[in-house]
Amino acid sequence: MKALKLKKEDLYTYLESLKSYGELWGPVSRGEHYSYAKLANVRDVALQALRTIIPPKKFFVPPRFNMFRYSQGTYSETFEDVRPRVLFGIHPCDIHGLMILDELFLDRFPDPYYKKRREATAILGLSCIPDDKCMARSTNTHAVEGGFDLAFNELGEKYLVWVGSSLGDDLVRLNIDLFSEEIETSDVQKYLEWRRKRDSRYKLNFDLTGMPDIMELSWDSPLWDELADRCLSCGSCSMVCPTCNCYNIRDVSDLSFTSGVRQRRWDSCMNKEYALVAGGHNFREARAERLKLYYTHKLKAFITEYGKPSCVGCGRCIDTCPVSINVAEVIRGLKGQEVKL
Amino acid sequence: MGMMASKTQAAKPKVGFYGFTGCAGDLLAILHCENELLDIFNAVDVRSFLMASSEVHDDEELDISFLEGSITTDHQLESLADIRKRSKILVAIGSCACFGGPQAARLGYGDWKERFKKVYGAVKHTVAKPFESHPVDEYVKVDYHIPGCPIDRYQFFFALTRLAQGMSVELTTFPVCSECKWNENECLLLNAQLCLGPVTAGGCDSRCPSHNLPCIGCWGPAAEANVASEIDLLKERNFSSEEIVSKLRLFGGAAMVRRFADLLGIKAEEPARKPRPKKVREPIVAGKAKKRASTKKPKAKSRTKKR
Ligand code: SF4
Ligand code: SF4
Ligand code: SF4
Ligand code: SF4
Repeated sequence: MKALKLKKEDLYTYLESLKSYGELWGPVSRGEHYSYAKLANVRDVALQALRTIIPPKKFFVPPRFNMFRYSQGTYSETFEDVRPRVLFGIHPCDIHGLMILDELFLDRFPDPYYKKRREATAILGLSCIPDDKCMARSTNTHAVEGGFDLAFNELGEKYLVWVGSSLGDDLVRLNIDLFSEEIETSDVQKYLEWRRKRDSRYKLNFDLTGMPDIMELSWDSPLWDELADRCLSCGSCSMVCPTCNCYNIRDVSDLSFTSGVRQRRWDSCMNKEYALVAGGHNFREARAERLKLYYTHKLKAFITEYGKPSCVGCGRCIDTCPVSINVAEVIRGLKGQEVKL
Repeated sequence: MGMMASKTQAAKPKVGFYGFTGCAGDLLAILHCENELLDIFNAVDVRSFLMASSEVHDDEELDISFLEGSITTDHQLESLADIRKRSKILVAIGSCACFGGPQAARLGYGDWKERFKKVYGAVKHTVAKPFESHPVDEYVKVDYHIPGCPIDRYQFFFALTRLAQGMSVELTTFPVCSECKWNENECLLLNAQLCLGPVTAGGCDSRCPSHNLPCIGCWGPAAEANVASEIDLLKERNFSSEEIVSKLRLFGGAAMVRRFADLLGIKAEEPARKPRPKKVREPIVAGKAKKRASTKKPKAKSRTKKR
């Protein structure tokens, strides 16, 4: 993979030049949190941001959108917000999150709504030093070898920039004069040092080997009921998780009754109605069953199917659940440690 | 408006709008749909809507009736029974009709008569006999509940278009928090505020938290509100039981009281006046038709899921 250097002071100039490709988006401050927003002013970008409230999945499967508009027996797909976009500042865990969504939405049954948005979007990664809620090292999603067009690694006064795709190469060429190809031994040294520093900062470290078996054995564990007593079934954990991807669909008719839209909106297996089927039967009526499903999906089923957990260790559930139920606590609980709720 | 005669008129569903004890905010919310008002009156045959037209036909069969407000007098009770008899589908709109409203916030706190006297003195009731405010479904079968204070116009349109086309209405039953995340708000609860979002039905697009105001529960309890956990959580954050309970009661009214009465060992509520419900009521599932064994129609569910 090609690597280039960009002086830190040139970052804003470069970001500005990306706007000729499409809309530029990046993390900005939202109170004490962060959110991806369109960068009218490139200096608004919050380079210190770790996790945003909602992961970048919002660009590819928006929380709610119209799939198509129908009218008198015909329909037309709207693809309302499909346009060229550059997302800057995506951290490794979130890039892994997108790669998991790719497996789900592009592989066997491509989802046209996801695909169109994904194809129109450039992913520009950014390195980060973890905080006490990150657990990406445990999930092996703390570094990226692909899944991006460009990846910026901050090394003091400069960025080491990896070019991950031909689109990335084109994007570099938008302002090639800012980049240098001379990578010196000292740069490599600095990069390796930086990696060691990053790896040493993880406070949450879990050994996830054998997780599917541990979950299988814990099927009847009282842990699930303990968690269920506390869980508010608010769905927030699914909304903020970069790999949760469930949705519901409904048709909304105009008052003419002859036309309307088909809407898609995020759903969560934490919701009681989620497993309700025709006839009124609910496969997961009990809250404990639904919690179990959520974490089975993260730590068991996905590993069995794809060889890796569907948790990318971003720490959003840790940051979000009002009653402190999150993947770290569940792993602790499953491993027989005391759970702090 | 009810005079517009056309060939299709006969096929249009006949609809009535009625108001009991409330602030008229829900009916006004409908009237304030300036851009859609004509469409509404074109889509259905409005036979009664006192605020919109003096021409009312109150002796006819209706396909759908929309009722705002709680029941607080014997007269209202009679007219409610009459509307129910004439309506194929009866829809409670707004928090007062669905849960009793703020006027039901003191349900169960001692004798209603004493409370009434304390506020109004020893007045003589000449027009109608008042009693404790109760939600509409305490007295008659309610097919759908559209909560909100006031209701949301789009949720109303959604229900109207569904019902007018003979379809069932599935409103949002999960808590406000999910929508709050869709709107990417910082969580107020985690910021030490008394937010009722986790126990309140969504569908309002997390209107209040999106404006940095904690949810006060005006859409009533979510389908599976874990009130016990919410109370614990708020207590841990140093809110007093009294404060928490009065917040829960304010808009959640009867529906909320039923959910935490046992928890806190308080008397659930003063029983509703006649005609009393035959069986002990199940808690309201906000926005959904109440299950009644005898009248339950099989509902067609179409949910497309991605696993
Ligand atoms: S389970 Fe939690 S830590 Fe893991 S990816 Fe989802 S939100 Fe992030
Ligand atoms: S685990 Fe937490 S965030 Fe998830 S539904 Fe339960 S209370 Fe909400
Ligand atoms: S602010 Fe309130 S509604 Fe929003 S997520 Fe927090 S608790 Fe839920
Ligand atoms: S956030 Fe709560 S108080 Fe505000 S409109 Fe929604 S339900 Fe009502």
